[in-house]
Amino acid sequence: MKTISRRDLLFSAGGGIGGVALASLLGSDGLLAAAAPSRNAHFKPRAKAVISLFMTGGVSHVDTFDPKPALAKHHGQPLTGFGEIVVRQGYPGPLMKSPFQFRKYGQCGMEVSGLFPHVGSIADEIALIRSGWNKSNDHVLAHYEWNTGSLLMGHPSLGSWVTYGLGSENKSLPSYVVIYDPRGGPNAGVANWNNGYLPAAYQGTVFRPSGDPILDLRPPAGIRPEQQRARLDHLAALNEEHAARYPGSSELSARIASYELAYQMQSRAPEAVELAKESPATHKLYGLDDPVTEPFGRQCLLARRLVERGVRFVQLFNGAKLRTDIDDWDAHGNLFDNHSAHAREIDRPIAGLIRDLKQRGLLEDTLVIWHSEFGRMPISQKGLGRDHNPGAMSFWMAGAGIRGGQIIGETDEFGYKATRDPVSYHDLHATILHLMGLDHKRLTYYFNGRQMRLTDVHGELIRDIVG
Amino acid sequence: MIRVATILFLAAASLSAQTAADGNWWAFRKPVRPKAPATQTNPVDAFIDARLQESGLARAPRASKETLVRRAFLDLTGLPPAPEQVDAFVRDTAPGAFAKLVDRLLASSHYGERWGRHWLDVARYADSGGYEQDFTYPNAWRYRDYVIRSFNQDKPYDQFIREQIAGDELPNAGYDALIATGFHRVGATVGFREKDNPEYRYAYLDDMIGTTSRAFLGLTVACARCHDHKFDPIPQRDYYKLMAVFFPYINYDHPLAPPDQVTAHEARVRDVESRTAPLKAHVRRIEQPYKDQAFEQRLATLPADIQAAVRTPEEQRTPGQKLLAAQVLTLRGGNYRALMTPADRNEVDTLNRQIRDIEKELPRPLPVAMGVRDGDYRLAPLGPGDDEAPGKGSKSDLSEANETYAPLAGKAYRPPRSFFLTRGDSLSPAEEMQPGFLGVLTDLGVQTAMPPSDGRISTGRRRALAEWIASKDNPLTARVMVNRIWQHHFGRGFVRTPSNFGRMGWRPSHPQLLDWMAVEFMESGWSVKHLHRMIMNSETYQQAAEHGAGKALEEDPDNVLLSRFPQRRLEGEAVRDVILAVSGNLNPQPGGPAYFPPVPDRVRKGVYKGIWEIQEDGPAVWRRGVYSYYKRGMKYPMFEVFDQPDPNMSCESRTVSTVPTQALTLMNNEFTVAQARHFAARTARLAGPEQSAQVRIAYRLALSRDPSEREMGANVRFLNQRMTAHTGAADPAEEALSDLCAVILNLNEFLYIP
Repeated sequence: MKTISRRDLLFSAGGGIGGVALASLLGSDGLLAAAAPSRNAHFKPRAKAVISLFMTGGVSHVDTFDPKPALAKHHGQPLTGFGEIVVRQGYPGPLMKSPFQFRKYGQCGMEVSGLFPHVGSIADEIALIRSGWNKSNDHVLAHYEWNTGSLLMGHPSLGSWVTYGLGSENKSLPSYVVIYDPRGGPNAGVANWNNGYLPAAYQGTVFRPSGDPILDLRPPAGIRPEQQRARLDHLAALNEEHAARYPGSSELSARIASYELAYQMQSRAPEAVELAKESPATHKLYGLDDPVTEPFGRQCLLARRLVERGVRFVQLFNGAKLRTDIDDWDAHGNLFDNHSAHAREIDRPIAGLIRDLKQRGLLEDTLVIWHSEFGRMPISQKGLGRDHNPGAMSFWMAGAGIRGGQIIGETDEFGYKATRDPVSYHDLHATILHLMGLDHKRLTYYFNGRQMRLTDVHGELIRDIVG
Repeated sequence: MIRVATILFLAAASLSAQTAADGNWWAFRKPVRPKAPATQTNPVDAFIDARLQESGLARAPRASKETLVRRAFLDLTGLPPAPEQVDAFVRDTAPGAFAKLVDRLLASSHYGERWGRHWLDVARYADSGGYEQDFTYPNAWRYRDYVIRSFNQDKPYDQFIREQIAGDELPNAGYDALIATGFHRVGATVGFREKDNPEYRYAYLDDMIGTTSRAFLGLTVACARCHDHKFDPIPQRDYYKLMAVFFPYINYDHPLAPPDQVTAHEARVRDVESRTAPLKAHVRRIEQPYKDQAFEQRLATLPADIQAAVRTPEEQRTPGQKLLAAQVLTLRGGNYRALMTPADRNEVDTLNRQIRDIEKELPRPLPVAMGVRDGDYRLAPLGPGDDEAPGKGSKSDLSEANETYAPLAGKAYRPPRSFFLTRGDSLSPAEEMQPGFLGVLTDLGVQTAMPPSDGRISTGRRRALAEWIASKDNPLTARVMVNRIWQHHFGRGFVRTPSNFGRMGWRPSHPQLLDWMAVEFMESGWSVKHLHRMIMNSETYQQAAEHGAGKALEEDPDNVLLSRFPQRRLEGEAVRDVILAVSGNLNPQPGGPAYFPPVPDRVRKGVYKGIWEIQEDGPAVWRRGVYSYYKRGMKYPMFEVFDQPDPNMSCESRTVSTVPTQALTLMNNEFTVAQARHFAARTARLAGPEQSAQVRIAYRLALSRDPSEREMGANVRFLNQRMTAHTGAADPAEEALSDLCAVILNLNEFLYIP
């Protein structure tokens, strides 16, 4: 079983992995480079790259993309008819109307709340899914679910699977880049972009949105470029002589090559994050002219530059796990203040990103996803806040030839549970892999006695997305 | 070119037609010692040569003495030999010189630090729990040190098994046996709101079953949690028999002190608590009215409908107002202290001072081992995040519970009942399960419960499982460990999937040798060091990695048949250890609580829970990697980039990737750059100003050999060019030597076991 599939992997690697690497792959899963070479997809891909915009803390769907008039009508009354209401903190409160007004946007007439006028203005580009759900009402476990397909810690992330499946189109940049909120890391931290049991080459590399994007990218102060070049040349000469004694070892030659790649990275990675090269109009489009939108605007603009340069998977986080209720979307205390602040940070930059990708012809083969770990409760928490709700959430997808303006699935009249066409994280993952040309049932990796899959034994394609 | 590998593929493919359900699978049959071919004195060579000859191949010539001494040092201790140690071995031309070297290295305490680390990968060891809180495990290091100690002592492997699975149930369980039960606890745990998430415990049980069966039996039993194993004869019932073995476990910190000392300690704690309790009650009485007042002030700032819900008399509230009021009444007010009269504030301060003074008498905590024992998990003390709000709190049914969490001597103890779970769902219990082992291997005559006979209360189920695994009649146990040891000597086991000897695993490349060694291992009294000697004293181990003829490369490109020594890259921890050894800065201090290697602020910023202490770069952190803090939420970047495995699941073998970020780490990381300068300074100190002497010393320190003439020429030229380039620097010669030393720490030769 396992051996057959390993052969499949080698065959699907096609011309990408040369004969020399074959032995090394068989032996130790050693990889030729960072940047595992481009591989062939299972079928024709719709997208070459993914940009994931992840809102950490849990965005309230009933206050953003899933209007519920019944909440205003029954404001202050208990939520009944659903059995025991399971909340994360304390006691369940009564139903609470949204403090935000909804209005219709675009030709499609999608209803979006006043929190997102700019995103609303691109409603015709996005496919909205109102029936997302997951299992855990714990931030971290829910992050694992959406980002790794399992609520247990330690499984490879979606981005790791995508880059494992497809490799990179640019060897001097990492194929999977993560840019988190300048305030700090998200819930669940590095486990969101961990490679789990996949080789280390497939883990997400954290980029800073300015300065040197990669750890140890440049030599410390006091080492001049000339000096480094001289060291590298001497190193290569000594290494070549050593490798000549072991003609069978592709690992040794790969390591020699990796030094040249590292050297190239030193110049190309800083160039990729050089936002000053963008026009003033572009800066404005992403909201870099406003201190509130500037941080996430930089993250979004950087994402576009990376995708342009062949990076396969870019994940941006808005929100940091620092002060609860304030730094992330976790609006237990005061939903109005919390969501007003965070939505303002991201609304313009996201609309700018979609417009910019479109005008550059990149949107056709770039998949953009806006999502979060769970929705929030239709009932109040202490009168002003909302608790976690894994039963229902809204998220949207754009680009990759997905038909914009459509709405998939729905929740009950209060937004407590996804009712029509529910979409789990397994379904989303299967769909994303499909758009990237990968069959989630065939993308496997042998570990601890099993052929592991991102979707385990689950996952249904979202039909209206894949067409 | 893939001939040998293809043969293995075909072997596996043809076997997939064979049914394993009858237990006829090779790994389920007891190993019998095959007759070794009479061609060689060392049976390792006899079996390996026989396979080579079948393929028309021959072993490579013996490696040079410089190579052998470096290989043995790196392999057994993870540290390079000092130049004098190389010289001494090269000079020792007596027969048996290498065997003596191996004995010396096996006796070194550095041996356990390296081979213990291999086991810690299997034991999915880390110093924190992971998940949201990433709570630190303040006593996990005792288990890490226990593992290192066990390897150094050459503890019989069957005893090593018994202690880790059931140390607390063994007769005369000493401290080490109690510490060893940390094996069950060093995995990932949420540690937060455990009481209202009873399914977490099933995840931990699954981790225990999965890790125990992978580590000792090389089987993936965990597949059978939800359905019968698809490929191996492990029905779902077997999984739940094993779950019944572990089910009575509770987390327990075993005090590492004599019982009378423990009793005295507890009495002193109780005494302090009884004296502070009335003072604390007094503080609460004074503060309460002010807290109420502060709440009133806060309430007044809330919207009218919320105020109305609270102010409406309870019996007149609408159903919605009742819910709202219950929530809002849990709000705390603002700064109540600001509302207090000076007199009340003074009194509270005085009382709190008195409380602190009394609490100074609390005895220092006793040392404890983070382990397990049998008990009643339903009575676990409240942990972080546990509270008693409706819909929260313990979801356990307490109707059958015992009196105490840990059983009391002399009291009746009923182990919590364990059930078959339909589709693995903890909410769908079916019939009650009794403990048992894997049916395919039968019971080997071992009882399913062996409670202690000295009055200690425990079911003895884990003890029974341990005896069943450690039995010489168990066909898997010895083979699995022999295969692990072989893997770490040659980079790959006979079975390439060391934790899976089932149908989904690889077939062994040398089944007869594996069985021969498995039987030998058991008959030697389960001595791991005996295995090392047998392997390392073979010609197979001592052959060169270079291979003159092209035939071996063509016929055996993947080196399955061992027609040459397989070089392999050092692991992340070893890379750092070796750099420190070469720079002369390695602090050999063994054991104890973990240290925190410095990481850049931007990396620490990504850590949002748990701990990563700031320690300065210096001797305190220039210790071996195995003693560093293994944090589930954040790996030390240098180890991570060199393929440190994720500690959330048992790791059978590390991947070896070659990525540019490794080059960046070795070229640019502050640690490596600084150590390269230390290495240069050390070289200059030992060699003096002459360039050829510097090159020679640097090679001997870092590569355990003299440079060839060509290398000498190239390096001296490099030093001269660099001196010119550094014209104007305070000391161009020093700068040039730093350049050379930085290059040497990046050489492939430096990073590979030769």
